[in-house]
Amino acid sequence: MATTTITKTEKLVGKRIRRREDPRLITGTATYVDDIKMPGMLYAAILRSPHAAAKIRSIDISKAKALKGVHAVFVGEDTKNAGAVPCGASLPGLRVPHHNLLAIDRVYLVGHPVAVVVATDRYVARDGAELIEVDYEPEAAVADPEKALAPGAHAVHPQWADNVAFTFHQEGGDVAKAFAEADVIVKQRIVSQRLIPNSMETRGVVADWHAADRSMNLFTSTQAPHLVRSLVAQILGLEENRFRVVAPEVGGGFGAKIQTYAEEILLAWISMKLQKPVKWIESRRENFLCTIHGRGHVDFYEIAAKRDGTITGIKLKIIQDLGAYFTVLTPAIPTLSVLMMPGLYRTPNIQADIVGAFTNCTPTDAYRGAGRPEATHGIERMVDMVAAELKMDPAEIRLKNFVRNEEFPFPTATGLVYDSGDYSAPLKKAMEMAGYDQLRKEQVEARKQGKLMGIGLCAYGEICAFGPSPATPAGGWESATVKIEPSGQVTVLTGISPHGQGEETTFAQITGDELGVGIDDVLVLHGDTSLVPYGIGTFGSRSTAVGGTALYYALQDLKAKVKKFGAMLLESEDVTLANGQCTDNKTGKSVGFKEIAAAAYRAMKLPPNTEPGLLATHFWEPPNFTFPFGAHLVVTDVDRDTGNVSIRRYIAIDDCGNILNPLIVDGQVHGGVAQGIGQALWEQAVYDDNGQLVTGEFMDYTMPRAHMMPWIESGHTVTPTPVNPLGVKGVGEAGTIGASPAVVNSVVDALSPLGVKHLDMPLTPEKLWKLISAGSNA
Amino acid sequence: MIPQQFEYSAPKTLDEALGLLAEGAKPLAGGMSLIPMMKLRLASPEHLVDLGRIKDLNYIREEGGAIHIGATATHQDVLSSPLLRGKCPLLAETAAHIGDVQVRNMGTIGGSVAHADPSADYPAALQALEAKIVLKGAKSERTVSAEDFFVDTFTTALEPGEIVREVIVPIDGDGTGTNYQKVLQPASGFAIVGVAVRVRKQGEKVTLARIGVTGLSNRAFRAKEAEKALEGRSGSPAEIQAVAALVGQGIDANSDLHASAEYRLHLTAVYAAKALATALGRIA
Amino acid sequence: MKISGSYFLPLPPEQAYQRLQDPAVLAGAMPGCESLEKIGEDEYRMKMKMAMASLSGNFDGKVRITQQNPPNSFKLMVEGSGKIGFMKGEGDLNFTPKDAGTDVSYEGDVQVGGTIAAVGQRLIDGTAKMMIKRFFDKVAA
Ligand SMILES: Cc1cc2nc3c(=O)[nH]c(=O)nc-3n(C[C@H](O)[C@H](O)[C@H](O)COP(=O)(O)OP(=O)(O)OC[C@H]3O[C@@H](n4cnc5c(N)ncnc54)[C@H](O)[C@@H]3O)c2cc1C
Repeated sequence: MATTTITKTEKLVGKRIRRREDPRLITGTATYVDDIKMPGMLYAAILRSPHAAAKIRSIDISKAKALKGVHAVFVGEDTKNAGAVPCGASLPGLRVPHHNLLAIDRVYLVGHPVAVVVATDRYVARDGAELIEVDYEPEAAVADPEKALAPGAHAVHPQWADNVAFTFHQEGGDVAKAFAEADVIVKQRIVSQRLIPNSMETRGVVADWHAADRSMNLFTSTQAPHLVRSLVAQILGLEENRFRVVAPEVGGGFGAKIQTYAEEILLAWISMKLQKPVKWIESRRENFLCTIHGRGHVDFYEIAAKRDGTITGIKLKIIQDLGAYFTVLTPAIPTLSVLMMPGLYRTPNIQADIVGAFTNCTPTDAYRGAGRPEATHGIERMVDMVAAELKMDPAEIRLKNFVRNEEFPFPTATGLVYDSGDYSAPLKKAMEMAGYDQLRKEQVEARKQGKLMGIGLCAYGEICAFGPSPATPAGGWESATVKIEPSGQVTVLTGISPHGQGEETTFAQITGDELGVGIDDVLVLHGDTSLVPYGIGTFGSRSTAVGGTALYYALQDLKAKVKKFGAMLLESEDVTLANGQCTDNKTGKSVGFKEIAAAAYRAMKLPPNTEPGLLATHFWEPPNFTFPFGAHLVVTDVDRDTGNVSIRRYIAIDDCGNILNPLIVDGQVHGGVAQGIGQALWEQAVYDDNGQLVTGEFMDYTMPRAHMMPWIESGHTVTPTPVNPLGVKGVGEAGTIGASPAVVNSVVDALSPLGVKHLDMPLTPEKLWKLISAGSNA
Repeated sequence: MIPQQFEYSAPKTLDEALGLLAEGAKPLAGGMSLIPMMKLRLASPEHLVDLGRIKDLNYIREEGGAIHIGATATHQDVLSSPLLRGKCPLLAETAAHIGDVQVRNMGTIGGSVAHADPSADYPAALQALEAKIVLKGAKSERTVSAEDFFVDTFTTALEPGEIVREVIVPIDGDGTGTNYQKVLQPASGFAIVGVAVRVRKQGEKVTLARIGVTGLSNRAFRAKEAEKALEGRSGSPAEIQAVAALVGQGIDANSDLHASAEYRLHLTAVYAAKALATALGRIA
Repeated sequence: MKISGSYFLPLPPEQAYQRLQDPAVLAGAMPGCESLEKIGEDEYRMKMKMAMASLSGNFDGKVRITQQNPPNSFKLMVEGSGKIGFMKGEGDLNFTPKDAGTDVSYEGDVQVGGTIAAVGQRLIDGTAKMMIKRFFDKVAA
């Protein structure tokens, strides 16, 4: 562990190094929001609507107020001037509903916050909330985006009768011509169902206001502490420099903690009102209802192709279920699907339309993959359907249409520039690992015996490392500060906010290699706005590609300075920094890192034009996104008697550019694949016609468990990106993006002898059994 | 957990517990069904009597040619009991299907039986075993058959103030084979359907067939028509199919998000066939 | 959720029809009904205490009878709400003479909301059936 000697024995980048954050996580000693206790702290409980749509006739808080231990009860009227929940996305003509902290006059979804009770402990707070009497006048609700757009549907927001929040259109190339000249046109409606992110830790907030110095401390389980600070400070009219946001240990986010939520604003407001620290911890039930959901797409695809399999045009209409309100990115998510709709293919002609529909449901927003899983699922299903139509092998049609190696940087029909790639490599590698030709032969035999065996492919591409600032709502750069302490130990302060991705380890690896120190000499700190430079946060597979690059450049500056001090001490002009020391390249004499650090702070003597101390900060603006890619291959068997799907083999080949730590990359892929398989086979947020979330607990919402996972055979190809000097592309979302189409393609392939061409997720046994039994009767 | 306020007692003797229960308190065993309800405030008992400290309720022993299982024996106790594994393997096998390790370490047979969840696993086995359930109140003790005990969804023969004291299962001699098959609902882990089979053969003839079914309808039940159809036969593959088809016949099957009535009935036949074949194959 | 079924009452249709509208009978038969108080023509205020498994909760609600077509059919509406959620059931009851009694068939819709809707999915169908059966058993008794 930590030593006082600075040592360096091996190159760190590229090694399977265990995560340095894990000991505190697995020994239960990490500090999450709910572990924070403050003297005099009060607890808040929120009363939420049981109705999806209702007028509030009256609210009687008298009984709650009278309860012993209750300090305050607030309703919508009280918080009317406290601001509204912000939406960061802008689209032409976007209708943005005013998102009050607490409902005023009406509720728009089950779980809509109606009142908040603040009490001496969480039990009294909850008891108090139960004593509030709300007289609702329920109305018809609409919980399905297609129904919401139908004439005569209940208007979620009375002022917008058509439930349309926005429409969006994009075109590239000449789609009309492509379709006019097509040999085949394949059409399909494809649903990417609503999902519930379900991080292990629910959300939670502690707000602590100090009136005397006008300062706020806000502890919140977030992926983007600086964004929360800017937004909440602005909403409440507070000074940003006196507003500290801390993301302590965060137990997962998956995109659902990028947003600034009503509770963050509300708790800060309450702490100011009551002049006390206040805590709110989201229950699991609230998490199901009140933290954002993901996906919620109904896609209508049309593909134009030539007889030889060349895909010449794609038309896509997306109906996006937005929910009742917007959170930070809600309306922007489907636009990411449009950007990635060509997948890895050269297709020059595209046309996309989005209709954003309001429903009486939880807002949708970024969930692992955010827009790209939908796009990948769509195009990868469609490519299989075109292959089936043309009686081509699904591998062949992909290989034929991939962007070719010599075409990079490749401008897409949607206006992106793909950075680098060798798209056929992962697919070929997956096929080789699987023994693809042999599997196909086996499948022929299996089919002769009436067995339902499927082989599914997916070649996915993603847009990562968000991103160039003009294309990212709050800026897309990242920051890093590196300090060498007088002892020689190194502290890295990063603007990203990891919550499971392992950057405390990978950033220490980068730092160790650049400065020539050991991994235990480096400490990576993050998530406290009073400590780290302003940063954007962790999402969109950006942390290493953007934050790591900022760190890399800060390290170059610092390295130069360390070398100056080393050269001074060695009285040399030509030195190398490595292995915990600085060495004179001519004489071979060296001085230890520790001594250099001490000298820089003691400052008895300074190199020319050099100030004391060892600290460097760098802000880095990426010139482009990165575009990781890969291929999954899945072999499934479907049981004729029950419709059960079993995954016989799962092969995941990822190309995320250079690999800093294969262990962490594998971990990210495994977790991602688990979530992708979850969507393909089990997960779905189901609302009934009245807007009740009927999969509102783990009893009914099928989160994949460890024992339900197949063995994942993972592999990699490495195509560095030219976008950043580390050559890294990002891997946080890859597994999720590749998994759902690979699994569904496999099962559709299994059922294809029954005439099945497409299946919508989740592929529940009953759904498959119905098709099988109908097919075998036919 | 943020439940409503409640009083908690943890008596060391059964009499003390029964006294408190007679005053309207509610028993707490493993808490695996009760605590989640309290957490959601769907249940708000005023007084909980923890049965966990009562030594006299936690046993698995052979007595008078049968095996007696005390109410607070956990699912883990049941599945790992050498006595049960040797002499009543069906119950141990069934226990292994319940929930996950944590649930099996906490949940108890008394709690499961008293709760009478229509998708719980034990009731299928207890029906097939023609188990007896001993109910004890402050002033009474009575024994009822599993068949009479499970009345309806979450409804049993328990009267207010009574607890399940023990469950009695038979010891089957040689010539008996058993098996439990379960289709689990992947979110909750409960049974979409579960079929427990106990068959005995003399020579080539099935002399006894008992089939308990859970998850299919409002309560666990015995498929008596199917049992009759098997008795006196040899248990050939064709007979198994025919018998399995009878198991769900005439049952008003449940339907929910996870399985329609039609699918449940179909699965019942499929898994009944598996359970029958396995049980017959296990006859020593 | 859609519900439908039928129940045989050993009474002629006229009597069956009347019994099923008699507030005293309804109060005794509605599972958990603690009080039923007339608030209008064929409209009652009801207090219910639901207790099933370890679940328990108080509901405040209404019972309404409409579309009277004696002795052939009427519509029964029951709704209630409480801390654990709300429920609303609406059904058409049809009376057909059969043997020496009446076949009462029902068809309707049950809506459940709040916490019970989110956690009880697996059980709502079975519970609704059980409650209806209990109701008719008591009506018949
Ligand atoms: C995640 C999860 C998964 C599960 N999966 C399954 C599954 O797959 N199959 C399955 O069968 N079950 C499953 N269960 C339920 C589990 O088996 C419970 O242990 C069981 O239902 C209740 O037993 P308990 O000891 O925990 O009882 P408790 O929760 O303590 O009590 C349940 C009810 O019974 C009453 N009670 C308890 N003991 C007695 C007694 N001796 N006499 C009278 N009344 C009593 C209580 O008052 C309460 O009303 C699962 C539970 C969980 C949490």
